Amino acid sequence: MISSVRLKPLTWHPYIAPVELSEATPEQLEAMKVTPSAKKVSEYVRTLVHDPESYLARTVLFNAIMYVEGGLARSDRELGALGASMVNGCKFCAVVHARRHAELTRSDDVVTALYLDRPEALGPRDAAIYSFARRLSAAPSEATADDIAALRAVGMDDAEIIDLIHAISIFGWANRLMHILGHAETGK
Amino acid sequence: MIDAMDKAAGISPDDALFSTRRFRPEFVQGAEECRLSVLKPANDQGLAPNLRVALARRMAALNADAALLDEYDTQLAQLDPTEQLRALAHGETDLEEPLATIARHVDLVTLTPNKAEASHIALLTQAGLNSPQIVALSELIAFVNFQTRVATGLRLMRSA
Repeated sequence: MISSVRLKPLTWHPYIAPVELSEATPEQLEAMKVTPSAKKVSEYVRTLVHDPESYLARTVLFNAIMYVEGGLARSDRELGALGASMVNGCKFCAVVHARRHAELTRSDDVVTALYLDRPEALGPRDAAIYSFARRLSAAPSEATADDIAALRAVGMDDAEIIDLIHAISIFGWANRLMHILGHAETGK
Repeated sequence: MIDAMDKAAGISPDDALFSTRRFRPEFVQGAEECRLSVLKPANDQGLAPNLRVALARRMAALNADAALLDEYDTQLAQLDPTEQLRALAHGETDLEEPLATIARHVDLVTLTPNKAEASHIALLTQAGLNSPQIVALSELIAFVNFQTRVATGLRLMRSA
């Protein structure tokens, strides 16, 4: 019997100075949807808002992909995000989305299997999602039509597969921000 | 009407996948808004559109994405690229600064993001990039890597 893996949250710190709210332009404040008197805006948000146009566009898309109603179950989107984050080496994102997966499924089993590098312990549906997430995240992609066939074989329809492709791909994006522009630490 | 993602994935309006994509109008519109924000921003932070397209072409090649490579080739040809930008787009490494440093960074983050460290951001700073430029470059790199994966996934759905 393996004991389950319980991950503690990490904190993230940027390699470049974030925008100070007192010095933010009106466009940056609008993108962050905050007033100059707001106290708590994360370092991550204040770093990315150096370029407010891309910050705003990406935030809208990210939230749609991870939280929009219906379609692929949220826990499956989190598993796609986790697989991508492991391939891309973003420890911060991996921990965040491993914890969300465990919360949504009320089980540490999948996260335990992945952090102990035992993907063979996954059920067929999780295995198909995780394998596709890893293969699509490789650069260049190593995914094939067989991966899509495997997703269909475990009962996923095309709308759900499109949701999954987006969840994996948006972490090809997010990981290339968080792991490139800063680093994760344990504790505060 | 097809958009940039349909074009990259080879989807036409009479394909079933064209309609299935549009069950998620937020994804379709969101991806297009993101594309504009990194390739044709209102404020380019000093990273000109032809530099951005040249880098996108370089990353499409690194991802072995023939459709996106063709698309960015076409776009670059219309932007009157210098010899240096053409070399940058075609994956060369022997370039003037800051293009050489930018190219090394783009290759690293595209192919081996897990190997990135603080020193790589310091190199961009030393090459003269300011913080808004470092963030804008990061978003461009990250977007093209997103775009090629969505397009790849959609192409696989068509063939599976």
